[in-house]
Amino acid sequence: MNHSITESLNRSISSSLWGDAWRQLCRDRIAVASFWIIVIYLAMALYGEGVFWYFHWQDMAPPYQQTNLREEYLAPSVFRHPFAMIPRVNPGAVSSPAIDYRGQPAARSVAARFRVGLRTLAHHPLGTDNLGRDVFERTVQGARIAFQVGIITSCIAIPIGVILGCLAGYFGGKTDDFIVWLYSTFSSIPGLLFILAIAMVVGKGLLGVYLGIGLTTWVNLCRLIRGEVMKHKTRPYVQAAHALGLGPFRIMFRHILPNVFHIVIITFSLRFPAAISTEVFMSFLGIGVQGEPSWGIMISNARLRLWQGVWWEMTFVTAAIFFIVLAFNLLGDALRDALDPRLRTSER
Amino acid sequence: MFRYIIRRIFQMIPTVFGVIVITFILFNIVGGSPAAMTLGKNISPKALEEYDEQRGFNKPLLLGHWSATRAYEDTTFVRNAGPWRQVEGVTYTAPQRREPGLITLAPGKDYALPLAFKLKPQRTYQWIIKYRLRSGTAAFNTEQGHQPGDVAGTKPALAGVSGFECQTRLLTTNSAWQTVKITFTAGADPTALKLTLHIEDGVLEICALKLRRQNANWFDTQFVFYLSQIARLDFGKSNFSNQRVAQMLKDGIGPSLCLTVPIFIVELVVAVSIALLCAFFRNTFVDRLIVVIAVVLMSVNYLVWIIFGQYVLGYRWGWFPLWGFESWTFLLLPVLIGVVSGLGENVRFYRTIMLDEMYRDYVRTAFAKGVSRPGVLFKHVLKNGMIPILTNVVIAIPFLYTGSLLLEGFFGIPGLGNMGINAVNYSDVDVIRAIVLIGSILYVIANLMTDLCYALFDPRVKIG
Repeated sequence: MNHSITESLNRSISSSLWGDAWRQLCRDRIAVASFWIIVIYLAMALYGEGVFWYFHWQDMAPPYQQTNLREEYLAPSVFRHPFAMIPRVNPGAVSSPAIDYRGQPAARSVAARFRVGLRTLAHHPLGTDNLGRDVFERTVQGARIAFQVGIITSCIAIPIGVILGCLAGYFGGKTDDFIVWLYSTFSSIPGLLFILAIAMVVGKGLLGVYLGIGLTTWVNLCRLIRGEVMKHKTRPYVQAAHALGLGPFRIMFRHILPNVFHIVIITFSLRFPAAISTEVFMSFLGIGVQGEPSWGIMISNARLRLWQGVWWEMTFVTAAIFFIVLAFNLLGDALRDALDPRLRTSER
Repeated sequence: MFRYIIRRIFQMIPTVFGVIVITFILFNIVGGSPAAMTLGKNISPKALEEYDEQRGFNKPLLLGHWSATRAYEDTTFVRNAGPWRQVEGVTYTAPQRREPGLITLAPGKDYALPLAFKLKPQRTYQWIIKYRLRSGTAAFNTEQGHQPGDVAGTKPALAGVSGFECQTRLLTTNSAWQTVKITFTAGADPTALKLTLHIEDGVLEICALKLRRQNANWFDTQFVFYLSQIARLDFGKSNFSNQRVAQMLKDGIGPSLCLTVPIFIVELVVAVSIALLCAFFRNTFVDRLIVVIAVVLMSVNYLVWIIFGQYVLGYRWGWFPLWGFESWTFLLLPVLIGVVSGLGENVRFYRTIMLDEMYRDYVRTAFAKGVSRPGVLFKHVLKNGMIPILTNVVIAIPFLYTGSLLLEGFFGIPGLGNMGINAVNYSDVDVIRAIVLIGSILYVIANLMTDLCYALFDPRVKIG
């Protein structure tokens, strides 16, 4: 008992809300795993960005757009050459040398055999689509688009939500009335249709996706921030700042905002997967990304081929979307548990 | 209570007005006239103008007396002479460093305004010319025969002359750019109207030209047109199928509800039951397993549910009909997919509500006085949890009307969701606008209903 009190005292002295939350997150294995999954996807997206710009500057067709009709509908390499890593014995010959999967004499040394096998497996590892384009490269490009959409829409929605929420919560009165009117108006318009309508008006392409998602998803954040700022406004530290003669904007953004910033982080991690899913949906409908492989476009292409038994394109895209959305959902939940003490008590 | 209802209804008005304003901004101000997009590229300006006329797009946006007409698009001669290219005697000068692009009209000739189509009879138009006259005289004629009644002077802003047959003399030797507005009314027979610039001597340079049409009054605008459309419940015509939108909505709502209502009810029952199960087994393996499954279900993309469901259950195993809307069996698979795809999120939501209730004092009291666990769950927790659940339910009801955007398309159900998707694909503004508007208004009404229910059933809500 005594020991635990001193321990908790020590902890409360040594750590802030953020430090405490960080420690709790690090202890949560699921959160750590989700974090690393997101990092892997981020690396994929950055690699995709690099590939995109490299070939853009070189003015060449990037590998994910190169069609090769001799290699259409290739299954994933593991399925094409299940024994690529194992030297096979030619059944016809009496005292046959080991041959590799192509029927050629296998390399002697183990290392060389291993190398050949790896090279085989690395050739279209996830198969190809109907035009012989590499599914892996296209999936990576899809990750690039997904991260772009997630980040840019957040850059649109979060500032709107934070600024309007702070203004409404801090000033109250007419400002509050106006902002509440604004967000209740926005929230009463059916979400997905509103996004589609914005995208339709702006025109097909990524800009429509960004604006559609960005301009409609700030409402929840705004509502939360407004509520929190209203609560914080009566706290002594804000009154002290006010007594010191600080201006309203300084109080709002320098003093109150850091104290409600955890809401922004939680919202960010929970709206990211929603944005990705919406982008997939829009690209699937053909009003999203144009002329580049996004996950939605890949699904829309793979859908028709699924009926001909070409399962791999669909499966890998599905898996790619699934894991990133899952990781963000789990991390978002963990963040909420770690950062929002109120929810922590009620959910556990 | 009555006063509360009235007050609440008055509070509804700004939101509805806000929705109208936002749809107006979105489709009329940002979107603009969809005429060119709908009718195609090689279409005459006359057809475009008629299209706009029909849909009110040729009026000023919010307030105004004058509006542009496609008979003569505004020209500023930045790149070329525009519609004046074909006119004889006109030379074009590209923009210089200080000089704007301009056309020069040689003297001693009449120049007809290159109109795309004949102006409307009995309407007043205004011709706005930014010109420079090096020397000499030029005159604007609305009819070939030179009628006297010149209004000449050094001030070019001489307001022009009204009337069918008139002439305005532009007389100035000032080398600065001048703007003149010439108002005229087309006669009963627009073919007889000839608009000419007559230049007697001197060189007339023009750097900008506009033609404006006068509207009936200041309030004859797109916004008022839109409001009157809403008031008449006339949502215009679809560009694509040329049907009345109101009729399309009426036809589409039945199939949509056939799909969404079963999904909604089954979903609610299943999700609440599972949530209760979670509350029953809270903090045990079962609870955690259900939460994990819910998160996993949530993370599977909606598209994937549909595609794999249709492929596996409908095509490979052949349990359900694949496509169409003929009998209730066609609804089974979409309803199943709809329920499963939304299950994860709903279970988590209702579980949070249930667990919130589980930690309340009255639950502790009930346990303390010896009520059994199922008794507490069904008699106390479920009853009190009903308030947030009902709120959620009532708020979700308006969204039933828009149908399911994707399910309807995939399974060939002719509902509003399918219609909405098609409308987005064909840029069918009127249809999208109507669906968005009605959906929002239904949502506002549902919000009102929830508040009223609260006021009726929960005495803690302040009335007065």
